[in-house]
Amino acid sequence: MADENSTPHKRGPLKSSVGSAAVQRRRDHAVTVRKERREALMRTKRLCRVGVSSDDADVPVDADMATDEEQSVLEDQTVKSMEELNLAIAYQGKGAMQKRVNALRELRRLLSKSEYPPVEAALKAGAMPTLVQCLSFGSPDEQLLETAWCLTNIAAGKPEETKALLPALPLLIAHMGEKSSLPVAEQCAWALGNVAGEGEELRDVLLSQGALQPLARMMLPNKGSTGHAKAATELIRIDGVLDAILRHLKRGDEELATEVAWVVVYLTALSNVATSMLAKSDLLQILVDRLASSNSLELLIPVLRSLGNLVAGDSYVTDNVLVAGNEVTVRVIQVMIKCLSSEHRVLKKESAWALSNVAAGSVEHKKLIHSSGAVSILIRLLSTSPFDIRKEVAYVLGNLCVAPSESGRPVLIVDHLVSLVGGGCLSGFADLVRSADIEAARLGLQFLELVLRGMPNGEGPKLVEAEDGIEAMERFQFHENEELRSMANQLVDKYFGEDYGLDA
Amino acid sequence: MAMEVTQILLSAQSVDSTVRKHAEENLKQFQEQNLPVFLLSLSVELANEEKPADSRKLAGLVLKNALDAKEQHRKYELVQRWLSLDVSVKGQIKACLLQTLSSTASDARSTASQVIAKVAGIELPQKQWPELVGSLLSNVHQVPPHVKQATIETLGYLCEEVAPEAIDQDQVNKILTAVVQGMNANEANIEVRLASTRALYNAIGFAQANFSNDMERDYIMRVVCEATLSPEVKIRQAAYECLVSIGSTYYEKLAPYIQDIFNITSKAVRDDEEPVALQAIEFWSSICDEEIDILDDYGGDFTADSDVPCYYFIKQALSALVPLLLETLLKQEEDQDQDEGAWNLAMAGGTCLGLVARTVGDDIVPLVMPFIEENITKGDWRQREAATYAFGSILEGPSPDKLIPIVNVALGFMLTALTKDPSSHVKDTTAWTLGRIFEFLHGSTLATPIITPANCQQIITVLLQSMKDAPNVAEKACGALYFLAQGYEDVGPTSPLTPYFQEIVQSLLNATHREDAGESRLRTAAYETLNEVVRSSTEETARLVVELVQVIMTELHKTLEAQKLSSDEREKQTELQGLLCGCLQVIIQKLGASDPTKYALLQYSDQIINLLLRVFACRNATVHEEAMLSIGALAYATGPNFAKYMPDFYKYLEMGLQNFEEYQVCAVTVGVVGDICRALEDKVLAYCDGIMTQLLKDLSSNQLHRSVKPPIFSCFGDIALAIGENFEKYLMYAMPMLQSAAELSAHTSSADDEMIEYTNSLRNGILEAYSGIFQGFKNSPKTQLLIPYAPHILQFLDSIYIEKDMDDIVTKTAIGVLGDLADTLGSNAASLIQASVSSKDFLNECLSSDDHLIKEAAEWARLAISRAISV
Repeated sequence: MADENSTPHKRGPLKSSVGSAAVQRRRDHAVTVRKERREALMRTKRLCRVGVSSDDADVPVDADMATDEEQSVLEDQTVKSMEELNLAIAYQGKGAMQKRVNALRELRRLLSKSEYPPVEAALKAGAMPTLVQCLSFGSPDEQLLETAWCLTNIAAGKPEETKALLPALPLLIAHMGEKSSLPVAEQCAWALGNVAGEGEELRDVLLSQGALQPLARMMLPNKGSTGHAKAATELIRIDGVLDAILRHLKRGDEELATEVAWVVVYLTALSNVATSMLAKSDLLQILVDRLASSNSLELLIPVLRSLGNLVAGDSYVTDNVLVAGNEVTVRVIQVMIKCLSSEHRVLKKESAWALSNVAAGSVEHKKLIHSSGAVSILIRLLSTSPFDIRKEVAYVLGNLCVAPSESGRPVLIVDHLVSLVGGGCLSGFADLVRSADIEAARLGLQFLELVLRGMPNGEGPKLVEAEDGIEAMERFQFHENEELRSMANQLVDKYFGEDYGLDA
Repeated sequence: MAMEVTQILLSAQSVDSTVRKHAEENLKQFQEQNLPVFLLSLSVELANEEKPADSRKLAGLVLKNALDAKEQHRKYELVQRWLSLDVSVKGQIKACLLQTLSSTASDARSTASQVIAKVAGIELPQKQWPELVGSLLSNVHQVPPHVKQATIETLGYLCEEVAPEAIDQDQVNKILTAVVQGMNANEANIEVRLASTRALYNAIGFAQANFSNDMERDYIMRVVCEATLSPEVKIRQAAYECLVSIGSTYYEKLAPYIQDIFNITSKAVRDDEEPVALQAIEFWSSICDEEIDILDDYGGDFTADSDVPCYYFIKQALSALVPLLLETLLKQEEDQDQDEGAWNLAMAGGTCLGLVARTVGDDIVPLVMPFIEENITKGDWRQREAATYAFGSILEGPSPDKLIPIVNVALGFMLTALTKDPSSHVKDTTAWTLGRIFEFLHGSTLATPIITPANCQQIITVLLQSMKDAPNVAEKACGALYFLAQGYEDVGPTSPLTPYFQEIVQSLLNATHREDAGESRLRTAAYETLNEVVRSSTEETARLVVELVQVIMTELHKTLEAQKLSSDEREKQTELQGLLCGCLQVIIQKLGASDPTKYALLQYSDQIINLLLRVFACRNATVHEEAMLSIGALAYATGPNFAKYMPDFYKYLEMGLQNFEEYQVCAVTVGVVGDICRALEDKVLAYCDGIMTQLLKDLSSNQLHRSVKPPIFSCFGDIALAIGENFEKYLMYAMPMLQSAAELSAHTSSADDEMIEYTNSLRNGILEAYSGIFQGFKNSPKTQLLIPYAPHILQFLDSIYIEKDMDDIVTKTAIGVLGDLADTLGSNAASLIQASVSSKDFLNECLSSDDHLIKEAAEWARLAISRAISV
């Protein structure tokens, strides 16, 4: 309510004291810093994944592939973005840093863009001296990160493009030092990894410039982050590292072995090169020994995961090492049984996953597993364990019943199927069919199909009906997933059509 | 059934505090025990002409307070209670109130007016009391002027309380007609004219339709302008207040009147009494506000069309307006520099001049320069001060090209004035002007530096010397140094301030120790300047900043040791603690930013924490906020090692989260939870049950200030990112909260800018929570737990996309969530994603966005989606 006598002025005087505005600015700044950090963290989490997969050869290709026309547009954009970058570097005014970073980011995006990144165009436009300049000491982290990222992409190009990185190598190595922030160091490691992958000549250059030590330091998990991933591929390529890993894993105390086992997890998860080198070493034997002898959960988890990665990642292992009749094969299955019977869910899940990869191997592998003590445990797990474990178990059991064939359509192994169904696994699969998880439902349906088709004496339909399988399949009648819908509908039509039950 | 309350009401105003307290207690009890009778008794008291003026007035005030409160939650309660009262009781109360408008006691009438408006504020939006406006209007035609005056006053209050939508246009027209007629010169009674003029001020927002009609608008404007010439000063002042409000509400309708308004305002500025002259200046200041906003909207982008065109009124009036304002600068008051709340012609004139400079830019310079040149060397301090003030006022707006040559000439003169001028006023304004020079004309964006190796030392010497001058001058010198340091914030590895760093820090610390540092807010300015100097410093002086840690810790320690303080001293001590915590926060941030200095800092982290814990043990909200900010900064610096402080710190964290009365403390604490999550990662798990419980409680409380909600949602995301799949156990609580908040914020349903801004910040918080949860669960065996929430989240994205009122920040976060969902759920969500609008139109829009952050997030989302649907 307006006071009778005075109207208080609402407008602040132009000439005011600095204090209150400064306090406000300081608090706002704290909020901004927090937002930036949240964003940076989120970005790392997202990009980490993207980075990993684009390191592999089989990136899902962008829906719209670059045509020639698009390629030339891309090249034009690249030349333009180099001009922008040079302008930004020349600019010294306020916000210069941000300008540089934006220009670098644009270049990086172009270089990561298509299947055929415009590396050549960038190099022609003078990218290398400019990028080396952007790596100079004292540059802000964001700038270093973007620059190293550009270089990573360039190094992923053709051999002569990779060699273009030579002038940048000393600075990339320097930025992996202890004083650098982790993201910068990792990105540099990644770039160097691409260089190291190019060939012996460049690898020697890297070694002579002292790249080994900082790379190795990054591998050690005491930097407080799980992000040593990017250093993985490049590390394995360096002479002596592989031996060190195997030695520590074999002889080290449990603590050291645990650390090294995690290193192996990253190596095998992230890099095909590393996996295949490790597969050819006696790593598998060492892992099995550790699994058999240790009861430390901390150690068992990474060892088991390494084993799984190894089996899943390189067919050399299943084809040449884990062959039936080898002692190691029997032992692998024994340690799997040990883990499957463990109280710990992670061990159960990881071992089921690893076993499913073995079970996907040859008929001999399937026989071996089928005749082991694993089956009864698996069947029990299929009905009693948490959902994610059940799914892994279902893969193992499913794999045991089919064998690959030259015709493409898997061949049924009837006696395995009969004994598994006899062991009581059908209700577990029928449950999976009812799951909302599409992958699990598909597994369930596939197994029902095997039963319907393969059980001797046409027993299949009755068995399925007894487990309420018809009802489970009819749920898919109007399911939004077309594949599952038609699969379920076909099964119902084929085995439970008009004629079903007439002769019963 | 009304009860006799006269005696209690009189006792409640007794000089004897025991009697008074007892009476207040009685009133409270009465109110709690029987609200209807209580309110009725008060209204009967107010209406009763036999009763003493004092008890009637208090009866009205108590009644008013039973209908409204500042605090939102309390207000809502009161409104609900009134609405639930028995209709007949309310009817009787309202009858008493209306009857009081005819009272001969002016206090009773005026109080009744206010209460009626409060009741109307509750009932009219509910479509109740429809006869009110009609019955008031019929009063207007009554003969006794005091009834008419009270009725018009009531209409004015009513317009203040009720939103324009709650009254239909027909009634608005009648109210405006009554009010404007009451202002008319034909109205003989001065009180009626004054009440009408004040009522119009409140009714201006209702006159949208009337201002669009030329005839009606002409008539209103003529009546208002005539009222500015009334012989009564209060009427003139009220009329100018109307004019100010019209200027900002109906800027686009002003063109036909602006010449006349200029004529009458300039006469008022020059000749009228100060309250009137101040309002006349305010008119031009608010026109500047409008034009600055419009020109801002134009921006550099001429294709963007602002809703309102700029009429360039200021530019047109410039050559007459500037001399008018310059004249006011000479009308200073002797003690205005010492009085924080001072407001007079010179201050208003200078403030307006500053706004004019921002509106017209370069054009103002040639109009002001002659005034400066003529007065700056005069013997009378008023002339020198006015000249300096004029210079300082126009430093924001004109281009650097125009100003820098002048500043280069003036700088030496100003430095001499700051040391040698005999007048403290002149020194004060000179130091302030130097601050403005550094604020607007110094920094890495400017091509030609005004601070050079040749003058840098002199500038600093003069500023440091002035810190020993009178407190007001010293405070302004700090301000100048503040902006001087800020200009070097991104100077690179070597700063021109490095050689002086130690001396500057020492001088600032000395200033904080001055006996009179409490005057003119000198101590605050000195500490904040110290902060800015530290923040803008380079690695060259890192060692000195490390040393400063100990100095500040010692100071803070001293404040904690002080005992048996008077309440005055305690207040001072508390303020000092806040400043010192602020200082620690900045130092921690600075040293924590690079590894070598971080290790130097961390050797003190135990000590710092111990001090901060002791600060928390003293209960004061402002200090808690500052200490929390320091904790947040320290958590970043220590990283996972912060875990060792958690057992002791946790209870204060919880206290902060529980403090929703002082909601800023709550908000800052929520932010600190985020800091700690990022520092501790999964080590924060042990505290999450407590934290989540508290956050969920906060969200369910209807007392929580709404501004804290978005940060709480973001904080869910921070927690989920830190603890990953362990967030599982909170999903069943957090997800429904997020979902219902999402539903509420999907549609803004209001054209109110502030509301749209709030809704967007709420959406952003919700989306950040979703992103954090998805990324937290990524690659874990429990991702399937999130599948059931996916449809709703996608639907939320679709609906805010369709709404088309997201700001850039929300857009970026939203498209990020789409990517996170695809990334984490993969093929499980493929068909859902493909069915959503977001994955097509929204994604495509973001992919072609000009904002590179949006584009980046979108490209990532595209990749994640393509992976999800290809599996």
